[in-house]
Amino acid sequence: MSSRVSRRWFLGALPATVLARRAIGQAPVELRMSWWGGNDVHGALLATLRKFEARYPHIRVKGEYTGWVGHLERLTTQIAGRTAPDLMQVNWNWLVLFSRDGRGFQDLGTLTDRVDLGQFDDDALATCTMAGRVNALPVAMTARLFYFNASTFARARLTLPRSWDELFAAGPEFRRRLGDGFFPLDLIFPDAVALCRAWIVQRSGLPLIDERNRRLNASAADLHEFAEVYHRLVQSHVIPTARERASYGNVQQQEMRPWIDGRYAGTYMWTSAVGKSADTLSAGQQVALAPYPLRPEAKDAGLLYRPAMTFAINARTAHPDESARLLDFLLNDPDAVLAMGLRRGLPASRKAVGILRERGLVRGLALEAAEQIAALPNCVRESPYYEHARVRDGFNDILELLAYGRIDVAEAGRRLGEDIPAILERSIRT
Amino acid sequence: MSGTRAPLRYLILIGAGFVMLYPLLWMLGGAFKPNAEIFQSIGLFPAHPTLEGFTRGWRTGTEFSFATYLANTFRIVIPKVILTVVSSVLVAYGFTRFNVRGSRVLFALLIATVLLPKSVLLIPQYLMFREFGWLDTFLPLYVPSAFATDGFFVFMLVQFLRSVPPEMEEAAVMDGCNSFQVLVHVVLPVILPAVISVALFQFMWTMNDFLGPLIYVSSVEHYPAALALKLSIDVTESTAWNEILAMSTIALLPSVLVFFLAQKYFVEGATAGSVKG
Repeated sequence: MSSRVSRRWFLGALPATVLARRAIGQAPVELRMSWWGGNDVHGALLATLRKFEARYPHIRVKGEYTGWVGHLERLTTQIAGRTAPDLMQVNWNWLVLFSRDGRGFQDLGTLTDRVDLGQFDDDALATCTMAGRVNALPVAMTARLFYFNASTFARARLTLPRSWDELFAAGPEFRRRLGDGFFPLDLIFPDAVALCRAWIVQRSGLPLIDERNRRLNASAADLHEFAEVYHRLVQSHVIPTARERASYGNVQQQEMRPWIDGRYAGTYMWTSAVGKSADTLSAGQQVALAPYPLRPEAKDAGLLYRPAMTFAINARTAHPDESARLLDFLLNDPDAVLAMGLRRGLPASRKAVGILRERGLVRGLALEAAEQIAALPNCVRESPYYEHARVRDGFNDILELLAYGRIDVAEAGRRLGEDIPAILERSIRT
Repeated sequence: MSGTRAPLRYLILIGAGFVMLYPLLWMLGGAFKPNAEIFQSIGLFPAHPTLEGFTRGWRTGTEFSFATYLANTFRIVIPKVILTVVSSVLVAYGFTRFNVRGSRVLFALLIATVLLPKSVLLIPQYLMFREFGWLDTFLPLYVPSAFATDGFFVFMLVQFLRSVPPEMEEAAVMDGCNSFQVLVHVVLPVILPAVISVALFQFMWTMNDFLGPLIYVSSVEHYPAALALKLSIDVTESTAWNEILAMSTIALLPSVLVFFLAQKYFVEGATAGSVKG
């Protein structure tokens, strides 16, 4: 009798418990997610993670965040030690450090039922695809554009330069109308390298770095011109000399006094980072986006169009499904999109842009930048090795020698042609 | 003659001292400035003094207040200083007072570790601590100190001990002390200034250590102050320097306090062995 009761109880209870389990949710999962950022980003992402947990009660996400300094070192040890978080923020050029064969991170192409890859342009996805595997998703796409201090230009009674010629002509005008201490543009060495690169790429229509052959897509004459452009910028008073810049101390561009008070009136800046430059200007001054200068024969704008940062899933994660769900939430869900807003530039996800547009949140410099990029010839995809630490230092060192008068333009051009390919030979491993 | 020169000398010294201290004083002044004022004025005194840097900085942009991070710092510093002092004294005593075969080679090896760049050991040590299951705890940060791994301190103590005449220790042995008692009752009081220098150096270096916690501690709730101070510095966002300066000021207080308390011994210890007495 008692056995009959218990069997009946059992048969009745089984479906009930299954249903209950489904209602309560699956087994609890704990995810780890890492990122770098400033206070604003930490706050926004932490709030987003709490919302994700509310949506999926069985998943808990632990945020492991730091500032920018040291993040790569930390991630490198974690990846080498196989203790990396499930979901991590990865800089675009780190993909070649950790996943040359595309196996360093999860192939998101296999998780399409969890992540909506359709929200991203093929172009954007291509920048995150290693050896045919989608290793990461871009948070936002960015490019270097010309931003000027509109207030200073107004004081000089000049319009923002619309071409290379007008940019070069603005230098002497600034000196004549405002004084020796005023410059239409300020470049730190990496900015200067990027600008000279744009000059070369506009004519060649090829990425500067030929990753396959580990050399530069530039002739000796091109590289001579590369050095000459920098020299001309300084000679025609477009940018301050390296000596003058150094006299203000080794501080970030946006924290330099001449930038704050408007004497250095321009920057060649990432669209995702221009906010910091606008923030520090003293009261009453405005940053404005200028038309992008193109050479008459330009085949491409030479924009350095790339992801500002990406999110990738650990190749060894025990929870690929949940991680992918979180990734999708961060990039495509209204809660996450509205919490982050334009803090990291205009999102790369079409859905996210739609959500922000609907609320009238896409405006100002971010909108203008996106429209400008869309209107420019933009086909060249630079190799991530362009931003490899050693390659970057190689370029910077040569321009620095030139800037301090240790070598002349001809020598700088020659060294670019010899030193950089030598560095590429060592850095690009196949 | 010297009476007339003394004021001039003091004037020069005070002037030079002021120049050296200026960055520190500026940090203090900056902590009370609004963020926008920091880049625009080089002056010490804030034009619009505010406590915002302290209140917002203390709250931090994270889930935890700065108190958590300061407490974490001490949870690392205190065991590390104690372990370093005990292990370094024992090892230095061994090297100077006992004739063990191969001790010269071992000492050379110890000095070699001082010259070894720390970054070389980073990944192997990380893997080792991972196997121990010590990641995301404070153990990797202080347990190695229990084995006199800071060769520099052992070297410093060895130099000091070499200048101490062994006669007193011999007398203590005659009176029936074993070698450990000799160390505690006779040697330690003599080398106390050097021991305090070791403790102070380790205290300051550990307070400021960034890379160790960065690598081994992954949970934000375990971050020490050195890591927390850089949490808000990003490349794409403008930084609230007044908060960072305010919290740096607070994080500096323990070091300054300890230094002043131990100053007398510290100066004696740091110059020890320079003139053999």
